[in-house]
Amino acid sequence: MENDIILEFKNVTKRFPGVVALNDVSFKIRRGEIHGICGENGAGKSTLMKILSGVYPKNTYEGSVLYNGEELMLGEQAIQEAGSKGIAIVYQELTLVPTMSVGENVYLGREPLERGAIDWNKLYADTRGILEKYQLDVPPQAMVKSLGVGKMQMVEIAKALSEDAKVLILDEPTSALSEAEIDKLMDILKSLKNNGITCIYITHKLEELFRITDKITVMRDGKEIVTKPTVEFTQESLVSYMVGREMKERFPKAKRSPGEVIFKVENLKALDPNDASRGILNGVSFEVRKGEILGIAGLMGAGRTELVMTLFGEYARIVDGKITLNGKDIRPTSARQAINAGLSLVPEDRKGMGLILIQSILKNISLPNLDQFSGFFRIDADAELKASLIQSKSLTIKAPSLESTVETLSGGNQQKVVISKWLLSKPSVLIMDDPTRGIDVGAKYEIYKLMNELAENGVAIIMISSDLEEVLGMSDRVMVMCRGHSTETLPVAEATVERVMTLATGVSSDEKLMKAN
Amino acid sequence: MDTTNQTLKKEGFLSELYGVLRLNIQTYTILLALIGIWGIFFFTTGGTYLASQNVSNLFRQMSVTAFLAAGMVLVIVIGGIDLSVGKLAGFVSVVAAYFQAHIWFEYLPDQPLLAAALTVVVSLLVGALFGALQGYIIAYLRVPSFIVTLGGQWLLNGLILLVTAGKTIPANQPWFSDIAQGYVPATWGWVLGLVAIAFLFWSMFNSRQSKRKHGFALRNIYIDLLATGFAALIILIYVYNVNSYKGIQNPVLLLAATAMIMIYLANNTRFGRYAYAIGGNREAARLSGINIPWMTFSIFVLMGFLSGVGGIVLASYVGYGTIAAGAGYELDAIASCILGGTSTLGGIGTIQGAMIGALIIASLSTGLQMMNVAPAWQYVLKAIVLVLAVLADVYFKKKG
Ligand SMILES: Nc1ncnc2c1ncn2[C@@H]1O[C@H](COP(=O)(O)OP(=O)(O)OP(=O)(O)O)[C@@H](O)[C@H]1O
Ligand SMILES: [Mg+2]
Repeated sequence: MENDIILEFKNVTKRFPGVVALNDVSFKIRRGEIHGICGENGAGKSTLMKILSGVYPKNTYEGSVLYNGEELMLGEQAIQEAGSKGIAIVYQELTLVPTMSVGENVYLGREPLERGAIDWNKLYADTRGILEKYQLDVPPQAMVKSLGVGKMQMVEIAKALSEDAKVLILDEPTSALSEAEIDKLMDILKSLKNNGITCIYITHKLEELFRITDKITVMRDGKEIVTKPTVEFTQESLVSYMVGREMKERFPKAKRSPGEVIFKVENLKALDPNDASRGILNGVSFEVRKGEILGIAGLMGAGRTELVMTLFGEYARIVDGKITLNGKDIRPTSARQAINAGLSLVPEDRKGMGLILIQSILKNISLPNLDQFSGFFRIDADAELKASLIQSKSLTIKAPSLESTVETLSGGNQQKVVISKWLLSKPSVLIMDDPTRGIDVGAKYEIYKLMNELAENGVAIIMISSDLEEVLGMSDRVMVMCRGHSTETLPVAEATVERVMTLATGVSSDEKLMKAN
Repeated sequence: MDTTNQTLKKEGFLSELYGVLRLNIQTYTILLALIGIWGIFFFTTGGTYLASQNVSNLFRQMSVTAFLAAGMVLVIVIGGIDLSVGKLAGFVSVVAAYFQAHIWFEYLPDQPLLAAALTVVVSLLVGALFGALQGYIIAYLRVPSFIVTLGGQWLLNGLILLVTAGKTIPANQPWFSDIAQGYVPATWGWVLGLVAIAFLFWSMFNSRQSKRKHGFALRNIYIDLLATGFAALIILIYVYNVNSYKGIQNPVLLLAATAMIMIYLANNTRFGRYAYAIGGNREAARLSGINIPWMTFSIFVLMGFLSGVGGIVLASYVGYGTIAAGAGYELDAIASCILGGTSTLGGIGTIQGAMIGALIIASLSTGLQMMNVAPAWQYVLKAIVLVLAVLADVYFKKKG
């Protein structure tokens, strides 16, 4: 019976300067099970996994971890040691080298050798084998940076699996995956389970927990709150364990009364900046009213992110179309122009495009808004602090102080910093590209409330989300995109999942196009 | 803010002092290295190393490199490099000499002050314009700075040969020579020193005040007093020391002023913030509305301008312009930055650090020269110190 326990955490405590990330955590994980871990941002989930994978070796934390009944003593070469013991991890952040091929990445650090030289044929053949085993449609020679984020994530998972893992840790693997990719991942996990591999699965998406896990551990504020079989939880009970209080609804109620049209885009066409012969936006039209939330739905690759980046002056070259904001025709060619015209963009990729990780929360929040605090020369440090403090308080950013570097924050808190930074610029139109990606239910709720509040104060919001339920839950109207053009904009009352999916897959619009030709 | 205030709770003075020291270990390793180097030379030269005349020389020696390093910090912070600064300072020094010897001598024979002023203006313009040219190519035509400034170095080498025609040109007009060879009278030296100390204490209390106002954790007042007191003591010792020779040298004063302006620029202005943001994450900076090409261009213009200042001081100090002027200074400047904690990956680096780095390099050179170490071994020892210093830094960063 004892034999069945593959991993046991015993009174694990991990401190960072000013933060107790893990506080006396103890629980067990049974061999061959899929064990879910969930909890609010900053609860300590990733930190616990980093102890397992050797990022934080034995002497950097208190307490102990038993692996197959023996204490896990990871020393100098902790990360390799953990790997060779059969513990594989897919981190929350992508860790592939973008300028190397898929094969090189999968075998990075353990390339097959032939008389001292890398045996490239074997490397690529083996990679192909792995990719085929998990039905990944990626050529082994493809450069990683040429893949979409979803594919990259799948390659990362394949890489972890190829190391002959006994325990596979997945830290929010699905935050960048499309529905189809998620389905595929679930199938892979089931087959792994049948092969006796133990899996630790961290996610903020409750559906996935119920769909795949055998047991769930809920963490809050660095403590383990409860561990029990998944069947003993309900959605509501799980959420209340996570946030520590009851939460009745997923989306807060709002009483919105949209005003006049403030932002209008007509027949926007733009070319792919990497390949000028290809249109990336092929006719997009929509309008947003003051105090309204417009959701943009669509499949991966429909051009939603490309659309908002282009509107923000930072992606594709516009070749045709008209953009009107506050009654003025605009055509931003840089972010500065877009910001000055009254647009703000919370970008999709917070680490790559939203934040300066090595700088403090304060400096990140004030960066696009420094003109508010400085004349020609001097920055008024007091004013800067005051304004940033108000923002960080209203979004309840969890950190020792505004001076903490953003790098040390949990994913959700990092996202709050990005949102704070753009709220401070007091936009008339706020564009949010997947604003709740990787954010816990409690924080999501806060962000929804914030969006409602902003809308009530007359801000027009454009929201993109990979979570269709969220789009339907928050928007007044939903614009559906398909292959670079806008199809229809539906009032939310008429936007059913089926309707949106039909439009997004382009079945009906293809027919229309055929007729038009 | 949800504050987990453990670190802010009342602690003993000593343990807090220890904490502060540990957090800023990087800053202190470099200071310790400097003091160590001084100590070693003090003993090996039987004390003459820290005699006032030598200290005086030491600071003047560092000044040209330090002007270059002050600009280089920002260049490296935005992720660039400038290999042309040494030759640019050299070229400016040759131009300054040329104008004095061949042009003002003919057209303004009796007006040395005006001639010196015009020389300065022309020199600064040459520096800034060359910086603008390189900056334009780097920022707007998107050629990597490494290549552009390597080309710039070769080009300047050619220009120096053209202007000098292979000969040495004197640059020893009365007013002009004073720029780097003159001294501040002793009384004024004391006044300046005391003003600087007053300023240090004022800004310390000011920053505490503002922190308190916003409810931030305050360090133990004695630690702040200790640190500021230490800096004040150094200033007093320095002024006393050089005053017992001839006084504070003009170029050192000029350098101190330049460093203060650059520190202010880096920390308290939008310009500085934007530079660090670009180095920290280019994409995020771009999406935050920062005009990256314009910033890059401006920083290279500033770099050129500071090279101009360095060139003026160089010409004034040595008293002539030669074909070898400024050779290798760019590497000293880059090394000063790295020693002072500037990250080659961009985004991190301080002017203060680079100044101490420049001082370390000058200290090594003068000390080894005083000990009559053969040039070959001078290079070897400098190499060892450079790599060791950065190694120590890496080591402490990992531990800290
Ligand atoms: N290197 C670090 N230095 C200082 N504090 C850290 C560091 N890494 C994590 N923390 C802190 O430890 C706490 C737990 O962080 P962790 O990343 O484990 O949270 P998480 O549960 O994974 O959250 P998320 O769901 O947002 O990913 C947070 O308060 C975070 O700010
Ligand atoms: Mg995490």
